[in-house]
Amino acid sequence: MRSLRIVADLLQTGSAREIDAALLARRRWITTTFVVLGILILFVAAGVTTPVFLTFQNLLVVIRNASITGIIALGMSYVTISGNLFALSAEELSILSACIFGWLLRAKFGLATSLLVTLVGAGCGGAVQGGIIALGADPIITTLAFGGFFRGVASVVSGNQNILLGTHAAQWLGTGRPLGVPTQSWAFVILTLLAWFVLQKTRIGRLVVLTGANRAAATAAALRVGQGALIGMVLLGVCCGIAGISAPAQFGYAVANLYQGLNFDVIAAILVGGIALRGGQGSPIQAALGAIFISLLENFMLLHDFTTGFRTTVVGALVAAATCLFHVLQRSRA
Amino acid sequence: MNRREMLIDLGVRAGFMLVIYLVFAVQLPNYHSAAGFAALLDSAVLFGVVSVGVGISMIAGEFDLSVGSLAALTGVIVIQIVGIGVLPALILGVLFAAVIGSLQGLVIGLLGINSLVFTIGTLIGLRGVALLVSHENSVSMPIPLLSETDFFTERFLRVLSPLSVGMVVVFVAFGLFLRFTRWGREIYAIGGGRSEARAAGVPLLRPMVIAFTCSGALAGLGGAALSLRLGSASPLGFETLLIAAVTTCLLGGIGLDGGVGNVVGIAIGLFTLRFLIIGVASMGAPYYVQNLAGGALLIFVIVVQLLATRYRLRSVRKRLSASVG
Repeated sequence: MRSLRIVADLLQTGSAREIDAALLARRRWITTTFVVLGILILFVAAGVTTPVFLTFQNLLVVIRNASITGIIALGMSYVTISGNLFALSAEELSILSACIFGWLLRAKFGLATSLLVTLVGAGCGGAVQGGIIALGADPIITTLAFGGFFRGVASVVSGNQNILLGTHAAQWLGTGRPLGVPTQSWAFVILTLLAWFVLQKTRIGRLVVLTGANRAAATAAALRVGQGALIGMVLLGVCCGIAGISAPAQFGYAVANLYQGLNFDVIAAILVGGIALRGGQGSPIQAALGAIFISLLENFMLLHDFTTGFRTTVVGALVAAATCLFHVLQRSRA
Repeated sequence: MNRREMLIDLGVRAGFMLVIYLVFAVQLPNYHSAAGFAALLDSAVLFGVVSVGVGISMIAGEFDLSVGSLAALTGVIVIQIVGIGVLPALILGVLFAAVIGSLQGLVIGLLGINSLVFTIGTLIGLRGVALLVSHENSVSMPIPLLSETDFFTERFLRVLSPLSVGMVVVFVAFGLFLRFTRWGREIYAIGGGRSEARAAGVPLLRPMVIAFTCSGALAGLGGAALSLRLGSASPLGFETLLIAAVTTCLLGGIGLDGGVGNVVGIAIGLFTLRFLIIGVASMGAPYYVQNLAGGALLIFVIVVQLLATRYRLRSVRKRLSASVG
């Protein structure tokens, strides 16, 4: 009897959603409009006040800086959309990937093997966390714990010293510029399109959105809710692996204090991009736009000689303000 | 949880603490000397005080991630104003941190926003303010003033110092506050069942503001006391404070959903973690292995608690279906 009622409720909400499809689509655009508007305003403000800003070279720097944050934000958007808020272990998993990649290359395992092992390892790192979250653990606390663990393992792997790669095999990956654009930026653009496609058009993407949108309804419809968390965390892990390969490839060494503050940059990107924190709404494109916005803002402040302290304060205030703004917006719609 | 279950729970946790203690005590002879124990108590002060604050926010069913940044900011400020005297500076610092905490509680309570997410913003922002205030450098006390903080490291009864006595006072005071006052019970009420509490007429805003004021003030107290003892503060300090405080609370049985736990548990969690960290350190491991051990311990606790909850749910369900059938 109880299950019947749930199915009935599910059907009702289902039809209500269909009626509201146009409205929902419009709502989705509202949040995206905010960040696009923000990017445009920054562009104009920066272009007017600093002549260097609008040079092609500087814009390449902006995109390149946005790339690492952006790639991880893509993975993180899956975690958020699947209804699991954030992972606080992305920075640490990237560090671990970098150290493992560096260690493998130094031990002369060959580029292909090193790449493969690093990416698979990072995916597994995500999967373990995803598995525990899928069993019902709190995502933020679980990833906080794994963050400490990953950083510790990375320090042990590297002996807390620089791992010099001792080979130029990976150099192209970090410093190459096909068609004049850095490889990281290519990866960012391609992965953004890929992430968007997977979320919109595949079964996996549907599952992530549905488990995030309404947990109870998804359970009643025989979807495996835990899988949403698992998929999100595995994809985030792979993204961390990709980001983790980039720095050692670019600089020629790996060390356990790379990527400082990355976790919070990524979270800032998600929040500023306006992805709904209760899950089920938003797209990786928004995360990518958020990352570009943060990178533009940092670049703008850097060109104006603002101090680190001031820049950090502004980003923090921005995150708090964006959280409140989108929260109030969503509440007034409900 | 009724009273008996709670006592069993605390007993199991205390047993786990003793196991960890014994593992190291067997291998390290000077681990249980008076001097060793005094050092352990002193090293526990910062984490203990901040853990009580984080624990209170967790009991309210919320989360304050900004404690590390707030501790760093308060430390920097207190060192900068220490010219007015050590105790006045300490008091002003704690008041400042309490005000920041209560503002956070006010925003979270008024907007009904997810505190985990909001405090990520303040975690970044307060770190930025700490950098701004200190001009991005470590700040140190003027050398003539250094002798005024010597009393922090005095010892009496062989193991106690003013700092560890202060920590005990914090534990007792907040334990009594949570257990016996109306405002303390309200914090449990909004954590345990928020809609039930509201239906029963418990105001939501007051306990929320009080919980975040406590966590802010205690984070400030920890940061200020440690900075004064060291005579210097770094705007980038206290980065691992949050994870240590959360580990302590979870080890001590503070429930993640709120409404469960007490300061006795936090004390047990504190010493479990301290025994492990000090034990690993005195076996000669570098600091990053200590962090690794802390992370691994937290993962272990999360998994065990998860399995215990699932087991309890399953047995409840079995009992229910048996009574229906």
